[in-house]
Amino acid sequence: MDTIVTPLWLSLKVATIATIIAFVMGILLSWWFAFNNNKLTSFLSIVVTVPLIIPPTVLGYYLLLLLGRSSTLGQMVESITGQPIVFTWKAAVIAASIAALPLLIRPIQASFETINKETIQAAELDGAGKVQLLRHIIIPLAYKGILAGLVLGFARAMGEFGATLMVAGNIPGRTQTLSIAIYDAVQADRMMDAHVMVIILSLVTILFLYLIHRWFK
Amino acid sequence: MIMKHLLLLFFTIILLIGCGNEQSDEQTIYVASASDLYHALTEIGDEFSENSDINIEFTYGSTGLLTQQIQEGAPFDLFLAAHESYIDRLIEREAVFEDSKEYYAIGRIVTMSSSEENVPLDKDYLLSPEVQHITIANPEHAPYGKAAKETLESWGIWEEIQPKLVLGENIRQSYQYVESGNADVGIIALALMNRTEFHYELIEEEAHEPILQALGIPVQTGKKDLAKSFMQFVLSERGQEILLEYGFDIP
Repeated sequence: MDTIVTPLWLSLKVATIATIIAFVMGILLSWWFAFNNNKLTSFLSIVVTVPLIIPPTVLGYYLLLLLGRSSTLGQMVESITGQPIVFTWKAAVIAASIAALPLLIRPIQASFETINKETIQAAELDGAGKVQLLRHIIIPLAYKGILAGLVLGFARAMGEFGATLMVAGNIPGRTQTLSIAIYDAVQADRMMDAHVMVIILSLVTILFLYLIHRWFK
Repeated sequence: MIMKHLLLLFFTIILLIGCGNEQSDEQTIYVASASDLYHALTEIGDEFSENSDINIEFTYGSTGLLTQQIQEGAPFDLFLAAHESYIDRLIEREAVFEDSKEYYAIGRIVTMSSSEENVPLDKDYLLSPEVQHITIANPEHAPYGKAAKETLESWGIWEEIQPKLVLGENIRQSYQYVESGNADVGIIALALMNRTEFHYELIEEEAHEPILQALGIPVQTGKKDLAKSFMQFVLSERGQEILLEYGFDIP
């Protein structure tokens, strides 16, 4: 039982945190892209889809190089926190956020772009600050796109496998998410375990997506 | 309204982080291992844990990937590679203690058939039109794939069977290609044959370079003593006996 509950728990933790991170970044980047339309932002809004293009294992390999213990960034984090970031659940969160980000940005940006610029200008004239603008005008008007992004991003984060396996590894009890546990079971010919985990992963993800829908309605 | 929802979500996260604390694992060692050892090493590990208070968590994967990860500081306490060259590479890069390298097994390979017929699985059969797909592990990065390639070369049919060749990502995947009937013949590790009902034939030792499997202790381990005691069990008479049972030769 523990061989399923622990990975499930880890998957939920990683996917939820990753979705939140990607959500915050997604909102900010979409805002920038949608309301400051110039050559740079339209170029960048295409560049952010790169994680969808490169194979997940390759993405994971680059993350391993970028965050690894021999990299500048990896050493910096290690000297601050006292422990490396690779091969921990935090590395899995980073992998999942990057994988989910493009799927969040696309629908959110599209829904931001449908908001009438005059509505925003009117609110600004009435003295609304950036936070108020986001909270009372932009998000309520764009909630359908935001919802779509959250659903796609969370689903992607739950199913993330290739990059996570690379940068976080397959360490039972520490970094073995449900998706990795399924791969492990298939490799080891434990097909029954794999079937059970596939069903659990699907059902739990569906339940979470349903809850996200409920929350935002 | 949306802020309230976000707040709710936020508290859920806090809850998730709070509950998911990592278990205290002072008596647990993390062992990375080539996937051909799956059955044998799991049994060795169970027996070891029964007779000591040390708990073992295994990570099975391709030797190439695990080597890459250990080089980047993956927190493993012991690494059993499918070929000594990977341990040598890690020693060279100072990721594994030089004095910890030991040979623990010699891998053997077989030709395995997906058909019921009891035909001899020799080179004539591999060339025959009945055989449409032959699978081996990728010789570029899988030691068993390299041995398979050497075998086909020493039989003089490597060029000829090229159109039939299907490469598995690792030896276990090749096994699954044959098991599912998608490949007619595979060159597979003998160690994977121990629970199979399929027809297979041992390949003569002279056909390829010996698959010398070696292990080593990664330098960043904090539990060298625990890792050593498990290593000694693998190399002990009992450990070697289990490896022998699962189709490995003893160095």
